[in-house]
Amino acid sequence: MKGSFRIIVENKNVKYDFVINRNITIIQGNSATGKTTLVDMINEYNIYGESSLINIRCDRKCVALDQRFWEHVIQEYDNCIIFIDEDNGFVFSTKFVRLVQETTNYYVIVTRDPISSLPYSTKEIYGIRESKKYGGLKPVYNELYNMYSDYGVLSEKPDIIITEDPNSGYDFFKAVCDRCQMQCFSAKGKSNVVSLAKKLLKENKNYIILIIADGAAFGCEMNKLINIVKDYNVFLYIPESFEWLILYSGLISNVSDILASPEKYIESTEYFSWERFFTSLLVEKTNDTYLHYRKKYLNPVYLDDKQKNKILDVVEWYKICNQAEDTVNDEI
Amino acid sequence: MLNIYFGHRDDEIRFPQVYFKNAFEPEWMNDPLVKEMVFDIDKSKVIAPYVIESPIFGQIPPQMLSGGVKTLILAHKIPDKIFYISGCGDNCAKWFLKIAENKDVTVTLGYPMDFGEGPFHIKLLNTGEVVHSRKEMTLSDAIDNI
Repeated sequence: MKGSFRIIVENKNVKYDFVINRNITIIQGNSATGKTTLVDMINEYNIYGESSLINIRCDRKCVALDQRFWEHVIQEYDNCIIFIDEDNGFVFSTKFVRLVQETTNYYVIVTRDPISSLPYSTKEIYGIRESKKYGGLKPVYNELYNMYSDYGVLSEKPDIIITEDPNSGYDFFKAVCDRCQMQCFSAKGKSNVVSLAKKLLKENKNYIILIIADGAAFGCEMNKLINIVKDYNVFLYIPESFEWLILYSGLISNVSDILASPEKYIESTEYFSWERFFTSLLVEKTNDTYLHYRKKYLNPVYLDDKQKNKILDVVEWYKICNQAEDTVNDEI
Repeated sequence: MLNIYFGHRDDEIRFPQVYFKNAFEPEWMNDPLVKEMVFDIDKSKVIAPYVIESPIFGQIPPQMLSGGVKTLILAHKIPDKIFYISGCGDNCAKWFLKIAENKDVTVTLGYPMDFGEGPFHIKLLNTGEVVHSRKEMTLSDAIDNI
């Protein structure tokens, strides 16, 4: 399935109004914000229809799924939006992951526990809150908000950069770090990022660490990382992916429409996460050109000043490193 | 003291909400601490053991309280059981610390709940260490079991 979908679920007491953009959306946050109520309302509408006095407006059918016969039920639906409340342990099974990948549905999952086998985006993890637009009115009007939109602002040159990526992304940022006299380590995969950051902080609690990760599939690590960000000098830079960054930099032409609304172009059954789509797009766009892109190791042309600077122009934190470098050079 | 095991254990109550439905005792709702927790988390008032006044739904039974507050009530009232508390958000954290001020409470947890900056005393059963702040807890190897 492609596209983003606005969903309105309401009864006389409560109204939810939100948009989902990708195949996997996670809802978490504080207790008593209405997560279970939302899934229950969808379930009751599925069973009793309009006589439930629940109204659902969406361009796709919304369905609530629970433990009973979930494998069979999932396969009965195509191009639907499937809601799953917490306490459904099957979302952690490999069978569920396979079905998410193979079916055409979008999935909205209520869970605080990370699902490490599902590649969900840091941008698609939401909490529910009462909208201030209609404060005090009935029905209570609820909206979704991004749980992880604020990672603090890097104001000093980092001591260490950790990249999730062991391949081209690491090659690129390692070269940048070498020039700016910063250490750069690859965590060699998303599941190692938190443990590497912790190991470094145990060595020196005052390290300023910048973590660079592919946001499109890094969602499951966010709640482990966010407490570290709160208490230490750890900052996050999480573009969709390194390939997205190259596309976004303007080095490649004719991609701005796609980058403005990726959801219109990305078929969820073909690309489990957006990260894979951006890699495929970059490989396709640079094929048979001097910018020919390989994920496994970086084409050295991306380290030439012209290409490198174009990419770094859109990397906000790099300006701080650059300023620090200029100051050192001026002093020399 | 609050004892936390990160991950699952065979002796845990995996689904506290179902447990609450079947274990519920009306006298639980007369406990001042339960009333405080219901008011803080669910913004609801305990009128009588079977009647809660919710600002959204009007009068509701205790079974319709949030999963978070039901799990807190269980941890408070049946401290010899080990409840899986991932159904509780960060806004429940201070109440687990309060419940465990005068008794031992052991829970299992699947995500790094934010217990605030501290100070507090929490024993992490995966490693056996006692931590006193979020800063200390965050760097513990116990969380790697999630």
